[in-house]
Parts: sequence; C-alpha cells; structure tokens
Amino acid sequence: MMRSPTTGWLLLAPTIAVLVLTGVLPFLYVLVISFFDWNLFALNPEPRWTAANNFRRLVHDAEFLKSIWLTLLFTFWVVLSQIVLGFALARLMMRDFPFKKLFRAVHTLPLMIAPIAVGATWRLMTVPGLGPIPYYLKDWFGLDYRLSMFPDQAFASVVLMDIWHWTPFVTLTMLAGLSNLPQEPVEQARIDGAQEWQIFRDIILPFMKPVLLTTIFIRIMDALRVVDEVWMLTQGGPGAETRFIGLHIWKIVFPKTDYGYGSAMSLLTLYMTIVICWLLYAAMTARRGNAS
Amino acid sequence: MFHRHLATSLVALTIATPALADFWSDAAAPYQGVTIRGVSESTPPSNYVRDVIAPAFTEATGIAVEFETTSWDQMYDKAIKDMEAGSGIYDFVYIEQDAIYSYLSRDFLVNLTQTMADNPALVNPAFNWDEFTTFIDSFKDPNKNDDVFGVPMEAFIKVYLYRKDLFENPEIKAAFQAQYGYELTPATTFQQWRDSAEFFTAYGQEQGEELYGTTVQAASGHPASFYEFFESIAPLYGVYDWGINQETWTASVANGGRMNSPEAVEALTFWLGLLQYAPPEATASTWDEVASSFAAGRAAQGLVYGENATWIATNAEKSSVVGNVGVALPPTAEGVMAQAEAGEGYIGYYDGGAFGIPHSSANKEAAVLFLQYIAQPELQADWAEAGGRIVLNSTYDEPKVQEIDAKTDSYFTLMRDSGALFAGAPPYPFHNQVREAAAPFIYEAIIGNLSPQEALDQMAAAAEAELKNLGYTSN
Repeated sequence: MMRSPTTGWLLLAPTIAVLVLTGVLPFLYVLVISFFDWNLFALNPEPRWTAANNFRRLVHDAEFLKSIWLTLLFTFWVVLSQIVLGFALARLMMRDFPFKKLFRAVHTLPLMIAPIAVGATWRLMTVPGLGPIPYYLKDWFGLDYRLSMFPDQAFASVVLMDIWHWTPFVTLTMLAGLSNLPQEPVEQARIDGAQEWQIFRDIILPFMKPVLLTTIFIRIMDALRVVDEVWMLTQGGPGAETRFIGLHIWKIVFPKTDYGYGSAMSLLTLYMTIVICWLLYAAMTARRGNAS
Repeated sequence: MFHRHLATSLVALTIATPALADFWSDAAAPYQGVTIRGVSESTPPSNYVRDVIAPAFTEATGIAVEFETTSWDQMYDKAIKDMEAGSGIYDFVYIEQDAIYSYLSRDFLVNLTQTMADNPALVNPAFNWDEFTTFIDSFKDPNKNDDVFGVPMEAFIKVYLYRKDLFENPEIKAAFQAQYGYELTPATTFQQWRDSAEFFTAYGQEQGEELYGTTVQAASGHPASFYEFFESIAPLYGVYDWGINQETWTASVANGGRMNSPEAVEALTFWLGLLQYAPPEATASTWDEVASSFAAGRAAQGLVYGENATWIATNAEKSSVVGNVGVALPPTAEGVMAQAEAGEGYIGYYDGGAFGIPHSSANKEAAVLFLQYIAQPELQADWAEAGGRIVLNSTYDEPKVQEIDAKTDSYFTLMRDSGALFAGAPPYPFHNQVREAAAPFIYEAIIGNLSPQEALDQMAAAAEAELKNLGYTSN
C-alpha cells in the first residue's frame, strides 16, 4: 500500500528537527564565526569581520600544523593496529577454545569504560613514583619510563591506550561480519584444495570489505577527534608532543577564548576528515568501481 | 580520623550557629527550598566548604547547596562558559586572585558592596568587610569606588618547605659540611638550594630511599610549570609581572620588557637545573602533586603552596613527614629582598581566591547569604587547619590557629609577618590568553627541546604577538 509523502515527512520531522538543532545550526554558527576575529578578553571583545584571515593564519601556524601531523600519525597507527588485531581476534573467536566466553567478556570490558576513565586509569598506572608500570620497567629492565619527559614514550603510550580501548570494538564488528559470511564458497575452495591464506585473501577479505570499510571509517573519525583520554593521560604533553588536533582546538577555544580562529580550525579539521574518508573509500572501492 | 574531624567540625558549627540563628533563619525565610549551586577547584579549603560549611549553612538556613569541586581546568571551563552564556547554572563561583581582572573586564560578577547596600535585610549584622586581611583588596574594583566583587575564602603564600629531620640531623650536617665546605641550612642562596638538592638526592640513593633533593612544579604540559616559574622563581631573580612591561605591553627586552632578560634566563637555567635532583614525577607535577611528593617524604625541600602546608605538617593520615616540616622564606637574588620590602617587587606568590556571584545567577540573594555565612569568624580556625588559609585578621589570634602554627613551624606567623613580601598575579585581563601563548615554551624547555634563552626569546615573541592580537599593541 502506498503511503503519502506527507506521512513520511511527518514521521521524519522529529529526527530532522533534532539534527538541525544539534548539527546543522551549530555547524552554520561555527562557519560564520570562523570569518570573525572574536576574543572575549581582547580590548575590543566584539566579533570583527576578518574575511578569510583565520584560514590564512592556519597555513602558517606551526603549532596547528604540528598537531595535524601528530593526529594523522596517531590515527594511522591506532587504526592499522586495531584493524589487524581486531580481525585476528575475531578469527580466533570463530573457533572453539577453553574459556572462550570468559575471554570474550573480558576482552570487551574496555569498551564499557568512558574514555575519561580510561585516561585516568592509565595515568594512575604510569605516573612515576605511584604507578606500577614505571616502577616495574625500572626494576626489571632499568628503563626510565616518564611520559612527562620523553615524547616517544608519551606518543607510544597514548597509541597503546587507544588500541587497548578500541580494539574490542573492531573485534565485535569483525565477528559480526565473519559470522554472517556464507560458508559455501569457503567449503568449495577447501574441496578444490585452496590454502588457508588463499581462502582468506580471495574469499573472506572480499566478503568482509563492507564491514571493514565501515569499521575503518568509524575508527578513523574517532581517532581524528580523540581528546578526553589523551587529555587525562598526558594533557597533550610533554611539550606539545601529544597535542592532537582536538586538544589543540580545545586550548585555542577555551583557555585562549580565540573563538574565530578555533572555529576555523574546527572547520578545516572537519574538511580534512571528510577528505580522508572519501579518499579511503575511493581507494578501497576502486576495483569494484572499475569493474562496474 | 577524617570523618571524626568532620563530625567535630559540624558539632562546633552547630554550637556556633545558634547565636545568630535568628538572623540566618529570618533572612533565609523567603528562600526556603532554594538550591544554590557553586563550582570550585578541588583544594583543601574548597573541599572543607563542601564537606562542612555548606551542610551547616543548609541546616541554619534551609537553603540547599550543591557545591561541585573539580579540577582547576574544568572549574574555569565551567564557570566561564556559564557566565559568558548567561545560563545561570552557578550561583557562586570560585574566583582565583589572578582571574578577577578578566572577570571584571567582562562584567561577569555581581557587585557585592552594592547588592548588600541595596538589600539590608540580607546583611548579617555581624558581617564587616574591615575584618578581612588586605587580601580582600584583590577583589575590589578600583573603577567602581573599590566595591567588592568576591568574598575571600582562601589566602596563602607559596613557601619554602624543608625537612627538619634531614636538615637538622647532625650526621647529615657533618657529611654535607665535609662535602661542600659550609654548614647545611635551609637555603638562603640559590647555590645552597642546588647543593643541598644534589646532596640529598645522592643521600637518598646511598640509603636506598626514595628521597630526592627538591620538589619542582614542572608539569610539562600543564600551566602549573608556567606559574611556578613566573610567579615563584622569576621574582626571586627580580623579574616581576611575568616580565611584561605594563606601560608598553611588551615582553621582550628589545621592546622594553624583561621576559627574556638575563635575569630571567638565569632564573630559568637555575630552575631547570633543579630537575635532575627532583623526584621523577616532577615533570608531571602540578601544585597538588608537589604537595603529595613532599608529604610522602620524597623531597627534602621545595616550594609548596601554603594551602597544603598545614596538612602536610599535621595530618598523619595523609602525610609521612608530620612533625618534620620546616617553613622559611625562599632565597633571593641580591637586591630583591630590598625591593620587596620597599614595595617595588616581591619574593613569591600570594595566592588565594574568593567566591563571587555571577550576574546570570537566579538566586543571588541566597548566594549573598552563603557568602556572608562562610565569612563568620567562628568558622575560620577549623577551616584554617583543614586548608592552611586565613582571610580574617582575627583568625591569626585564634588559640587553635596558634596551636597549628606551632606545629607548622610558624607558617601562619610567617604569612602574617611576611605576607606583604609576596604578591598575587599581575592585574592582567588577558591572563589566560598570554599564559596559553607563553607556557608551551616552558614545556619545551623542561623536556630539553629548547635552551632557556631560546625558550624565553620565543616566549616573549609569542606573548607580544598575543598582546597584539588582543589589541594591546599595534606593532
């Protein structure tokens, strides 16, 4: 039975209203503000039109460019690690082994913890003089582990923390994908004598591509906007060595109250996220696109 | 122990309150059922308000208090957003002495003098602005007839603490004398500070103890390090007000400032040099962690906020150095003490804060009552014990405070007698903005990415660029 388009729009109206209020209007507000010079604590605290000057400043802002680079590096390492680990764990959980249910439950626990609590927990574990990790690293290996002093350790630690926190999410999505794979092509390949890695490469991976693509997109978007857990663990330090773009924008917008410039940064970051996802989508679907 | 302490304090408050019960209940009668909300940093003085004073106020007035104590960053974030948006979430906010100038410039706060003059029914007959120490001057607006915009609730100096059990140990003193050729005493020169820090770090290693030479508040990603340097160390070398010239609003020596002056470079070099003798947590330490390190017996000396001095010296449940805490003025460069005594400089940080009422508050009258309630003299002694803070002149003479003073190596006496040598933050409306522009260079110097000279040169340039952005200079 055909329903009138009006009914459809009416049913969609609440959702659209919420989206407009919480998404479209703030976006438009940020867009407008990005063309103004506006700092509450300037001698003239009123917004002043500066055209594209905020965007021009960004290109020459070494701190901003560094935070972009660090964010991209962080995103690359965490997403790659999580996808590889998550896929491997999902494959493992497709098999039977002792205490599988317990392992699955424990493995999923980090997902249930708020990022701010994850950061706090890791901070407690890594603070010199209090945390067990620096203590045992020094006691067993003589390693001076101080996130607040050594940039490489800080960066590696925030990457590890994010991998620990979000790999279970990848595992679960992969597990869902693997569980729904048709078994016939795999069985036929085995009968035809295919090796396991051939089955993986030529059958499982192509079938899993939609799940992989979705998961990678979600993780990239999350990683590009990471703030809370890194804030708790390192506060962007030492120096600015883990000041990822989300943290950098926060510092510009709140403590510095430079709203116009911070808005321009936010827009550029959004644009960058869209471009990266689009490029990735284009790359991962290129073969199918050519074939069609 | 802590709960017993709270219970005792509550009983004391309950006993103290009936004398003015008529005023509080009468004045609060129109506001029954009202809930006032406040936000502050989680510090010993604020936590005491949350745990003891706010419940007592509710009991006396029937006005409920929801008081949120959170991290320093979050506290500012929440308060400023609320006041700027005018959302009216908070009815009273913590105003640190260094933030009042920003708040006044944005007209965030209710004029308390005016409000109380306009509403005599809200004024406690026993309340008297003149009872406050001179610290209240920080919360007056000279552009509005010195009207008051905040009721002081904490005030303390950042003092030099040292371990008396170490510095007065005859064997240790002999070993130090043999090694350095002069007597071990609390530092009166920077060289003594460095030498004793070096000595105690080595001593800790020899003894197999987690003991280091000195605390350093050198968080490498938090403004606490900027504050320790510019509010405590640089002034000891004669560099005041962050090295910013308040006539030209410039920071670099080339433009008339002192932020990258030779004295500032010497100060930063000395301070960074102490890091090698500090506990490993020093580069992650804000004011809280410094106090914890000292209380845990991990440092022989250091600059510690006075709000922590009393519990470090007296609370055996939280501190392992009770009875062993010495208090002194920090060492100064030649001529600096004379400048401080003449009122032309200062030797460290006189910190503190007040509670003020945002214009956006929907419960200003109830909040005015609360602000007067916390200023009652009979509450101050227990509060001083819990938070090492004094805001009323009469508190110094309270027997309980004098008793604590004796246990803290005369910290309160030092504050009363030498408080004038210390100063709060300079009156900059752009406090946060310039701090955020300058602090990253301190962080880079801490982790060794920049030399002291490079850090200060770049910092001065960044501060001037920010002042230009804010419209203070045109060049």
